[in-house]
Parts: sequence; C-alpha cells; structure tokens
Amino acid sequence: MLEITDLTVRIADEEKEILRGINLTVPKGEVHAIMGPNGSGKSTLAYAIAGRDGYEVTGGDILWNGQSLLDMEPDERAAAGVFLGFQYPLEIPGVATMTFLRSALNALKKKRGMPELTTPEFLKLIRAKAAELGIKDEMLKRPLNVGFSGGEKKRMEVLQMSMLDPQLCVLDETDSGLDIDAIRIVAEGANRMRGPDRAMLVITHYQRLLDYIVPDKVHVLSGGRIVKTGGKELAHELEKSGYAEFTGKAA
Amino acid sequence: MSVVATRTEAEEQLARQFAKVAPELPGGAWVPAARLAAMRAFGDAGLPHRRIEEWKYTDLRIRLKAAHERAGCSQRKVDAGLLREALGEELASLACIRLVLVNGRYVSSSVPVGHEPGESWKFDSLAAVLGRPNFAWIRHSFETADEADGAAVRHLNSAFVSDGIVLTVSEGAKPALPIHIVSIIDADKPVAVTTRNIVRVGAGAKVTVIESHIGVSVSKNERQVTALTEFSVGDGAEAHHIQLVAGGADVVHLGQWDVSLAATAAYRGFQLTAGIGLARNESHVSFTGPDAKLDLSGLMLGRGRDHIDTTLVVNHTTTGCEGRELFKAVLDDRARAVFQGKVIVAPEAQKTDGKQMAQALMLSEDAEFDSKPELEIYADDVACGHGSTAAELDADMLFYLRSRGIPLADARAMLIESFAADALDKIENEELREAARAITVGWLGVAA
Repeated sequence: MLEITDLTVRIADEEKEILRGINLTVPKGEVHAIMGPNGSGKSTLAYAIAGRDGYEVTGGDILWNGQSLLDMEPDERAAAGVFLGFQYPLEIPGVATMTFLRSALNALKKKRGMPELTTPEFLKLIRAKAAELGIKDEMLKRPLNVGFSGGEKKRMEVLQMSMLDPQLCVLDETDSGLDIDAIRIVAEGANRMRGPDRAMLVITHYQRLLDYIVPDKVHVLSGGRIVKTGGKELAHELEKSGYAEFTGKAA
Repeated sequence: MSVVATRTEAEEQLARQFAKVAPELPGGAWVPAARLAAMRAFGDAGLPHRRIEEWKYTDLRIRLKAAHERAGCSQRKVDAGLLREALGEELASLACIRLVLVNGRYVSSSVPVGHEPGESWKFDSLAAVLGRPNFAWIRHSFETADEADGAAVRHLNSAFVSDGIVLTVSEGAKPALPIHIVSIIDADKPVAVTTRNIVRVGAGAKVTVIESHIGVSVSKNERQVTALTEFSVGDGAEAHHIQLVAGGADVVHLGQWDVSLAATAAYRGFQLTAGIGLARNESHVSFTGPDAKLDLSGLMLGRGRDHIDTTLVVNHTTTGCEGRELFKAVLDDRARAVFQGKVIVAPEAQKTDGKQMAQALMLSEDAEFDSKPELEIYADDVACGHGSTAAELDADMLFYLRSRGIPLADARAMLIESFAADALDKIENEELREAARAITVGWLGVAA
C-alpha cells in the first residue's frame, strides 16, 4: 500500500512549495488516477515518489508497504518495487536497449536477493514481453530510445515496467503525444500489469487514457493539493466542465 | 625570438645521456651526424614551454622533471603470457600480424599462416635499415626541421631512436589481417624508450595498422616514451591507423604522427590515451593530392593529475579534400585535457570540406579542458566548421537509469561509455573496437 501523508515538496532553488500537503492512499490491487491542470504538481508528485534529485521533501512522508521511501536512493526505491513511467523518456545514445534492460533487471534481482537471469532466460523473457507490445527486435538492438517515435518510447517504458516487475507503478502522462492506437497499445500493456499485488498511480491531464485504463478512484490535484476525490465518473465530469472550478478554488 | 634560459634538470640529463649512449645507437654512414645535428637542434631550443604557442598548455620545461635513463634489454621472452599481461585479454587475442618491440628494440613477430610477408607487405626493423647505406628516403626522415620551436619531439626522437618498424604495403595489396606493432616496455626501474615507425601504403592498397604502447612491471605506471610515426598513404589507398596508449600517473608519452595523403586516399586515424600522467599526441596531416579523405579521432581518459594533450595540424594544400576530426575526453579529479586543432586551408585548396569537434565529459569540478580550435582559411569556396563542448554527466539521464534500479556507480559508467561510444565507433574492425572498449571500461573500473 502507498500512503502519502501531508507531503510538501519544493523544487531546489525555488522558494515556493509545489506540493502543499498531499494525502493519498493507494491500496494494492487498485488503480488510482491523478488528474489536474498544467502546473498543479502532478509530475512533481511522480518525481517525489521516485526520488529525483532537486525535488526536496520539506514535510510529510511517503510510505510504501509501511516503509518510508524518503531516505532511499532512486535505485533502492526501484529495488523496493517502485517504477516511474516517464512523461519524456530519455534518449541514451551509446547504450544498447538490450544491455540496459539486462543491467537493470539483474541489478534489481541482485538487490532483491534473487538469482540473475541467464542469457537464454533473459532473451526468452524479453522476446515474449516485446511481442506483447509489438516491439520489434530491431528496436531492442538500437541505443535506448534513440530515434524512437513518441509512441515507441512509451511502449519501451511499458516494456521496462513489465520486465522489471514492480509493485508500485507510477505512470506520468503516459498518453501525452500519443495517437489513439498508441494509447490503446500502451494501456493494454499497463492493464496486463493490474493485479491484487500491485498498486498503480496513473497521472494524466486528459480523461482519454482513463477510458482504457479504468481507475478505481480519481483524485483531482490543483495548486499542490488534492481538491477532490471520486470514482471513475469524476474523470468524465472533468472532461465536460474542465479544471476552472478547481483552479479558482485553489487560488 | 629565442628565450635564453638556464637548462632544466631534464635537459641536462638528456644531453648527458646522449653523450653516453650515442655511440651505441644503431646506424652507420650519415646516421651519427644526423643524430648529433638533431640533438644540437633540440639543445638550442630546449624543451618546449608555454611561451611557444603550440605548447602553451603543455609546458615540458615545468612538467618533465627528469629524463629517465635509456631502457636496457628485457630478460622476458615474448610469449602469450607477456602479451596478455601487457595488452589485456581482448587485444592479445586479436587476430592480427604482430610485430613486437620490447624496450625500444624489435624482438619478434608472430604472423598467422597464410599472411606471411612477401609481395603483399613487408617489414624491416628500423635499426636494420639504418645499418645499411644509401636509404635516401630514410635520411629525409632524420633531417632537422627549420622551425626549431615545433620540432622538439622530432629532434629528440631522431637523436635517441633505438628502433622501430619500417612497414611497406605494396601497391594494390590488401592484407586481410591488421598489422599490430606492439611496443612493450619492461623494466624494474623507470626508463625511457624512443621508437619510430615508418609506414608506407602503396597506391590502391588497403590496410589496418595498430600501434600500442604499453608497459609491464614498473614500466606499467612509470616510463617515458617518445614515439614518432610517419605514415604515407598512396593514391586511392585506404588506411586505418589506430594507436592505443595506456598507463599510469608517472607515464610520459610524447607522440607524433606525420601523415601524408595522396590523391583520393582515405585515411582513418584513431588515438586512445588512457590514464597517462603526461601525454602529448601531436599529429600533422598534409595532403599531397586532391580529393583525399581524412577522419581523425580519439579518446582521452584522465584522472588524478593526468595531463593529456592532443594537438593537430591539418594542412589542406590541394583541392577537394575532406577532413573530419572528433576528439573526446573523459576527465576526473584534477585531470586536464588539451585539444588544439589547427586546420589550414591554403588559397588553392578550394572545395575543402572540414569539420572538427572536441568534447569533454567533466566528472569533477576540478578537471580542466582546454580546447583551442583554429581555422585558418585562405580559400573562398570551402565548407569548414568546428565545435567544442564541455559538460557534466547528464543528471536527468542518471536519474532515468537509477530509477530502473541501476546503482549510481554503474549508471555513471554506462553514461561515460555512452559518451565515449561514438569516438570508439570510429574503429571499424569490430574485434579491435571491442578491445579498445575493454581498455576504456577497464579504466572506468579503476575509477569506480
């Protein structure tokens, strides 16, 4: 279970706090959506969970399975089961996708006290997962994300997620820049990850993605606070009325 | 203008050593006089220092504290064990023709069956060639340069050179295997070695030549090498030329390449300099015929107080030639890399196409990268450009890798490899590229 209590976060070098007291609980087995206007702090929340440098937690806590993530390095959080799907996955020239995936997987296995995969085991696993997402061998041979289209990058994020087998999946604007076919593929990949042992936090500006990844709960984030929580129908209401009501309230 | 200065300790030592060893150095007929003239030319100018523009970042008067004694013979046999120790597993197992110098003397060759020297290629030791009279073209190689300022390394080399390889690839010949000239230094005390390789690639030929300068025993981390390579590429010939230098904080490597390219020749040069306390690799490229292609690149890896200087002078004197230069540096601690890239385009060198790039990855706030590109363009119909960058590891990329569970040290190593990759990718021979990558990764491993 993910439990976020009274979380305040500011970005280094900036006085103002971006998150101003977030309280959020996502039990295992549930998918929660965070919706909100631009600048409401959605990505800040994602980065705070994953432990990005420069996102300074000034108050509150983030507990995952009862353990605080705050003192952990990003790779330790990954080992604890946290996965962040990036809004803008980075291109890493000169690092082959396969090499990267294998290093990441084996690093996690090592930290989790599990045996590393042999080469045949790894190849078998990655081929199966890649096929599910329509990722061709040729893409796996290229440097990580280099020259990939927006859709290919997001599919690669989902491939990484399914390979690394996290228990807490945070998807940051996974739908941004994607056409409807690409959204469907990515959402199917994410839906395959749903299960009783996994919690998922889907961050999005638009309701569209939530037609495919149907959430158990929807939270509206505005001005660094969660201003409303509801069921999946809340997403549809927002689609009609927009965020004006909340931005007004927050200001 | 000459600056009158007292001789440094190293200059004194070099003069004394020359007096002592000159009678034993190889070469009959004109050679002793040529050596003496070179030593005088060196003595007149002294070690290059910062007031000489080409040496402004690498002051040898200050940096070269002492000149080690000339290396004696090594007792070790050249066998698989020595090669593995010197070159590492990957480079030692490279499929190639191997010509081995130990302590500056040609010792042995290993040539796979079916690749023997003969009509296609042949070699001789420089010492043997110098022992014969009437080698006019070799004599030319020993003449002193007019401008004493830029020629210190050449003069020192001419004075002290003990041996090297004279390699000839015949017109139209295409030796299937790379030819690897290995210079190993093995001594139980600090020593100096001076070698010169002369490579001549005939018209229409195609060859890969590797030069490695490596030490074992005490010499692994402490040695002084002066190495000169003259490399000429004939009409329409294609040559790949790779230099690998690895060592430690007390290694001095003064290297010079003189490359000349005939019409439509294609030459690709690469220099890996890994962890050298004081390295200067100076390359001079001249074009003797039109439409030749030059691709010169390198990777400098420094930590501690390493000082690695790459200086290029590319002289476009004829039409339609292409020049590509890409040099990268990875610098940690207080290491310093210097890149000086002078490209001269003469008035008659129309249609010259030149691009130069120097990039440094700074792993420490105390590291320093001095980049001095110089374009001197006297022709009006040319496309020439240069760029230079110095950057730290990308924090966003680091976070991305770490968020996938990769520990900080590994993520850093991955990004450093990633930075180095496009320089290493200039090495076409895959096996050799992997060997160079292994040297790079090995160097990184020490850092972590």
